[in-house]
Amino acid sequence: MAKARAYLETGAINVVSAIYLGYRAFDTLGETIVLLIAVSGTLTMIGDGYLGSKRFATEFRRLHSPAEDPLELIAGKLGLIVLVFGAYVMAFGHLSPGGGFQGGVVVASGLLFLALGEKGFKTSRLTDPTSLQKLEAAAFLILLLAMAAGMMRPKAGGPSGNPAEYIVFLNVILGLKVGAGIGLMCVAMIGDLYR
Amino acid sequence: MTARILMAGIFLVGMWGVVADKNMMRKVFGLTIITSAVVLLFVVEGGSVGTAAPIMEAGVYNIVDPVPQALMLTAIVIGVCVTALALALVCRIYAATGTLDIEEAAKRMGDGH
Repeated sequence: MAKARAYLETGAINVVSAIYLGYRAFDTLGETIVLLIAVSGTLTMIGDGYLGSKRFATEFRRLHSPAEDPLELIAGKLGLIVLVFGAYVMAFGHLSPGGGFQGGVVVASGLLFLALGEKGFKTSRLTDPTSLQKLEAAAFLILLLAMAAGMMRPKAGGPSGNPAEYIVFLNVILGLKVGAGIGLMCVAMIGDLYR
Repeated sequence: MTARILMAGIFLVGMWGVVADKNMMRKVFGLTIITSAVVLLFVVEGGSVGTAAPIMEAGVYNIVDPVPQALMLTAIVIGVCVTALALALVCRIYAATGTLDIEEAAKRMGDGH
């Protein structure tokens, strides 16, 4: 009985998604605020990189030439594949195991791979802390607006009345927010060790 | 029953790391282990009412309780936040005092290091 209701009311086959983005969506909003505060606190504390890393990076680079390092050779290529998988986990969170948080963490590990794979000094826009910060702020703003819209219009449902659209939309935005936030923390923790 | 005893064991291992180890990094690891033990306990308790994953495709019945899983999703994210903040703090303390030993760090900070 309960299963049928979860599907009918939220349009998600995955009941866990139905709970955390359907019935308890405001709880999820509060959770993303906690994540936002933790990311800001971490960034404030470690600034742009762990303070000892600059000296370590110069010594490290002298020992290992970047082009010969197997980590950089493999991680840079693997990063894009992991990003695609993260997008899949985000977008199909209502049909299969997965969702915004899980997909976001996969995206963050993809960003971490890309950051590790950048050869020496080159930085791509994907792992640039400034653009990640902007992405996270934009995703959080969209999430707030979506939640406010939900408050105005208590009945669940996307533009065409299919309630599953709402869950897919929230999953993707949530995934972007979590991926950008945790990826930002990881990139900041690597610091300038690899760049 | 065995699963619950094992989880209590994991929890105690993490507790031991937090309380008895002087290395701050290992204290953070202990905190992470405690979080994992609690998450595992909730998921196991949710699984006591059914066996199938809570994905309602045709012909699926007898699912586990999905509410603990949704709650643990929150707990995992909060655990990541706490770990990241704690690691950043340890980083700062190490940069300021040059040691990871918590008593040594307190002593050096007291000296106006």
